[in-house]
Amino acid sequence: MAQDIGSQASVRQWEAGTGLSREPPEVREQKLRILADFCAKVEKEPDELVAFCILRKKATGERFLSVKRREMINDWLEEFAAEQGWAGKQAVVNANVVRSFLIHNGVLIQGRVWRG
Amino acid sequence: MEFKQVVGNRRTIRFFDPSRPVEEEKIQVMLEAANRASRAVNADFAKAIVCYRDELTDDVREKIKTPTTTVQIDLAPVTIFWYGDTSFVNGAQGRLKELVDLGALPVTHGWTHAYVDDLVYPQVLEPMSKDQLATVWAVSVETGLAIAQAMLAGVDEGLGVGLHAFNAAGAKDVLKVPDHWVPMWILLVGYPAEDAKGGGQRPRRPLSESFYRGQYGNPWQEIPQVTERLKREGMIQEPMPADATRRMAEIRQLADRFGLPL
Repeated sequence: MAQDIGSQASVRQWEAGTGLSREPPEVREQKLRILADFCAKVEKEPDELVAFCILRKKATGERFLSVKRREMINDWLEEFAAEQGWAGKQAVVNANVVRSFLIHNGVLIQGRVWRG
Repeated sequence: MEFKQVVGNRRTIRFFDPSRPVEEEKIQVMLEAANRASRAVNADFAKAIVCYRDELTDDVREKIKTPTTTVQIDLAPVTIFWYGDTSFVNGAQGRLKELVDLGALPVTHGWTHAYVDDLVYPQVLEPMSKDQLATVWAVSVETGLAIAQAMLAGVDEGLGVGLHAFNAAGAKDVLKVPDHWVPMWILLVGYPAEDAKGGGQRPRRPLSESFYRGQYGNPWQEIPQVTERLKREGMIQEPMPADATRRMAEIRQLADRFGLPL
């Protein structure tokens, strides 16, 4: 699955923006795996996930980021982290992998912070 | 710390140490600095509500975030919500007459009780207070002066500071501010988790691009010796280097520490 999503334009943009290709292979694979698993959970391809967050105004066709949909993503991420059994810093870090993907694709979604 | 060094050291800190508490004594120093700021009609334009992070729930912090105010609010131990009071005209006559009596507003410059009652209040202050645009302009400028002094006082106390927008509607329910307070900024305060110098001073254009002599179009000519002195005295510091490798490495380290997205 992680291999499959690598061809999506949004994933390539993420890889380029975050320098993921320069990470050790196991780190890159882990991050792609998290994204792929999340996409599987919400039944959307990565490109679709980005498109889901960006709507167009009916009157002007102007693109805008949907606050409600970003909130939905955050809710899904909370669910996803719980389903994966992540807790503490791991839950924050891994959910922020998906947020990083969205941020590098122009979706402003606010990361969570691990304060220890 | 010397004043010029304080001005030179200030940065917008975005990575605060979330677990290092900020002493209330230092916050008081900041508030007193604001309280000492220049102000028209000796009015208390600037209002502030100080909140320690754990006094705000996660839900509230989410509500007050904006597209540009994000995780820094989760990291900062203290958030100072700044408002401007649009009721500044109330009591203005009394305050001005007090300044006349004290000699701060001297008769040599035309100030008397009658001048306050017959001219300044009815012809200047009262009409201004009924002009929404003029009111918001005055309140914003005056509150900005106070905020700037608080911010610099924080730097002088060894704290990191950062001014940001906030979602005023989200804050109003929690802070219960009166309707005549206009939201300004939040000032985040804490000890920096990042380099307190933020990797160097942010890029600034030369004085000649913004400041003029005599009339617009005649740029202020810098006196090189003064520029050099300000470098020695710390107001002008090394700018952030064009090669951001070191700064990016620091951000990566901070992201790892706080679990932030990269």
